Amino acid sequence: MTNNLDHQNSIENIMQKLHYDSYDEWVKNFALNLPDIWNDSSAAKLKVNIINDDFKTTKSAIVIGRGPSLKKNKHLELLANSNYDGSIICSDGSLTSVLESGITPDKFKNFYVVTIDPYPYAAKFYDNEVVKKYGSKINGIFTSITNPNTVNSARNAGIKIHWIHSLFDFHEGKKSFNQISASMVRAKNHTNGLPALQTGGNVGTSSWFVSWKILQCNVVALIGINHAWEEDDPLEKIISHGRSLDSERKHEQVNIDENSPSFDKLFKKVYNPDFNCTGIVDPLFQFYSSALKEFISRSPSWLKTINATEGGVIFGDRITSMKFTDFLQKYA
Amino acid sequence: MILKTNFRENKKSVKNEDVSLNEQKDLTPEEFEKFIISSGAKGSFMVYRSPKKDDELGMDNL
Repeated sequence: MTNNLDHQNSIENIMQKLHYDSYDEWVKNFALNLPDIWNDSSAAKLKVNIINDDFKTTKSAIVIGRGPSLKKNKHLELLANSNYDGSIICSDGSLTSVLESGITPDKFKNFYVVTIDPYPYAAKFYDNEVVKKYGSKINGIFTSITNPNTVNSARNAGIKIHWIHSLFDFHEGKKSFNQISASMVRAKNHTNGLPALQTGGNVGTSSWFVSWKILQCNVVALIGINHAWEEDDPLEKIISHGRSLDSERKHEQVNIDENSPSFDKLFKKVYNPDFNCTGIVDPLFQFYSSALKEFISRSPSWLKTINATEGGVIFGDRITSMKFTDFLQKYA
Repeated sequence: MILKTNFRENKKSVKNEDVSLNEQKDLTPEEFEKFIISSGAKGSFMVYRSPKKDDELGMDNL
């Protein structure tokens, strides 16, 4: 266990170092967003005031990632044809396919989308007709360091913008970016500040945090949150962490030698006993899945996390695995 | 051209949690960093860690 923690700490430190290469970009994003942050809503506005007795009733949410199980298990079709009336929380990358599948805010009234990515390529998730068609009925949750083009793209689609901070250096005190940027936000209109979220390094984990930390849901189901590839996925998709499917980035060279001694370590096969399946876990998914499983295990006792993905590698302490049809039958 | 994986179907029944079927040791930090750099797969963001463990689960107001 200690070795696993040491290993996770090591890779988190590496990811921190690599991400800090973009620090200037985050500061620039925040500076450009600040006037809009002052004028837009805090994500705290979405928060429901829970009184003690409320936790005796179920308030559920479905968090939707874009893992391979989504298509394989026809989960979007199942949801679109259901009478589910809880909250729908889309990771930004899943938004278009969710809407196109018929899961729209016209039918599912409590509809949210989350962006935590500070890089410019997230803008494309909001720049299409189906998002523009339904955008005015969607609540968007964006970090204060989101690329402004992404925010503008969402705003142009009619999405109502709600802001959060993404935590990364708050523990470093008053001179940390988290604390300085929070003070600047508080300077006008948002005197109570904004919610500050753990992202877990990816939007799927962030969406899970949004579901209970902001929306106060006490039953949260995950679909399309595999944190792994399928065994029959194309090799180039696996070794590029899916980037080969990205039209804007697929030309970029990936230098991974399939015959190198470290190949099997890079792409580990992990058996999921809950769903009797095996996932291929690339290093980035190793980083993501370890963090998500840890945070689920540390979440408040009133929260029940249900993995209804029917695939992938998210299983373990405090995670109830369930077929999505069973979830819908129980909670719709 | 789409390359297919050479990962073999494994029907072995495993009862324990989180079992890596190819039974390899964890990546070293150096191997991890090399992969992230060479693949360009930096991902979205970082995990927040703090000496105050409760802060790691987020804050209502900052």
